[in-house]
Amino acid sequence: MDRKNIKKWLKEHGKMSHKYSLWVIYFCTGCGIIEIPPVITSRWDAERFGVIPVATPRQANLFLITGYVSVKTLKAIIRTYEQMPDPKFTVGFGSCPINGGMYWDSYNTIKHLDKYIPVDGWIAGCMPRPEAIFIAVTHLWTLIDKDMATGYIKYREKYKYYRANQEKVLNGLDWPPLYPINDNEETE
Amino acid sequence: MNNSLKQEIKSMFKNIKVIISKDKSMLINARKDQLLAVLKFLKGKGYNHLALISCIDWEEEKQFEMVYVLTPYLQRSKKVTDDWRLHVIVKFRIPRENAEFITAIPVFKNAEPYEREIHELFGINFEGHPRLTQLFLEREYKIPPFRKDFDTRKYVKEFFDNIPFVTEKK
Repeated sequence: MDRKNIKKWLKEHGKMSHKYSLWVIYFCTGCGIIEIPPVITSRWDAERFGVIPVATPRQANLFLITGYVSVKTLKAIIRTYEQMPDPKFTVGFGSCPINGGMYWDSYNTIKHLDKYIPVDGWIAGCMPRPEAIFIAVTHLWTLIDKDMATGYIKYREKYKYYRANQEKVLNGLDWPPLYPINDNEETE
Repeated sequence: MNNSLKQEIKSMFKNIKVIISKDKSMLINARKDQLLAVLKFLKGKGYNHLALISCIDWEEEKQFEMVYVLTPYLQRSKKVTDDWRLHVIVKFRIPRENAEFITAIPVFKNAEPYEREIHELFGINFEGHPRLTQLFLEREYKIPPFRKDFDTRKYVKEFFDNIPFVTEKK
C-alpha cells in the first residue's frame, strides 16, 4: 500500500469499491462465453482483479455481452440490464456486438448493440483472448477513476430514445418503462 | 434386404421412385398425398425414428422440396445387420405459391417442432398442425427469411440501419 495515496483513497472510497469488486453476470449470449470459464478458473484467475461471476443480475455490476446478439437474446439482455443495481458497467465482448461482425447481413442479429443499451467499452476480436478481458477491466478502472464510465446515467437520461429503439426492434415490449418517459423533453 | 424393401415399396405404392445410393441411403420420391402412408409403412418396417424434416426452396422450378430423414432407432440390437444402418430419405415436391403440406404428427409426434420451424422460416402451412405459432423469431417478416427471394442485405439496410444511434449529450 502506497501511503501517499491514502488521502486520495479516503476521498474516493466509493470509486475504490466499484473498481475492485466488479462482479460479472454469467450470461451467455453467444460463442464468446467459451472464453469465460478459463478466465474465472485457475489458468487466468480473474479474482486477482476482483472479477467473480455471479448467478443473478441483482448482485452484478459488470455485464459482459459475449458474442453475437440475436433479437430474442436482446430481450433477455434488456431485462437483465434493467435488473442490475447502479452503478453498472457494460462491456461488449467480441466483434459481433460492435457492428455485427460476421453476422453483418443476418436477418435476425443486432448490428450495433449501443443503439439499445449503453455500452462503456468494447473488446475487439473474434475471439478475444482471455488476457483481453483483463486489459478491458484495467481500462474500466481508469474510466471509473475519470468518471467516464457513465453508461447507466446516460441510460437514465436518454431512456426515451433507448426505449423507442428497443420497441422498434422487438415489436413492442411487454413490461412498463423502467424510468418515467418525459415527453416534454427537447428533441435533438 | 435393401432390394427386397425397395421392391416392397414399389409394389405397395404407385408412381414412386426408389433409388439406393452407395452411401447406404435410400431415396424415395413420392407425391404429397402419399406422405402418411409412406411414413407409416416405413415405421412398421423398423425405421421408427424421424431424424429430421427439412425443406429446400427451388426458386426457378417454383417448387418446395420437403425432406424427411428416417433411421432405425435401435441400431445396436441383436437383429441388426449392416443393411439396417440404411437411412431412408423421403422427398416430396409441392408448388411454391400458397404452399401447403400435411402434418406428419399422426405418425411421428416429434414432427411438431420441425414443422413449426419450417412454417416460420419458409412460410409453408401445415394442414392439421395443432399450433403453428412462432418458434425462434421475435419479429414478423413479409417474406419468410429462408426463402430464396428474401434479400437479407436489403432487409438489414432498410430495417437495422434505419434505427438511430442514441447520441451523446452535448
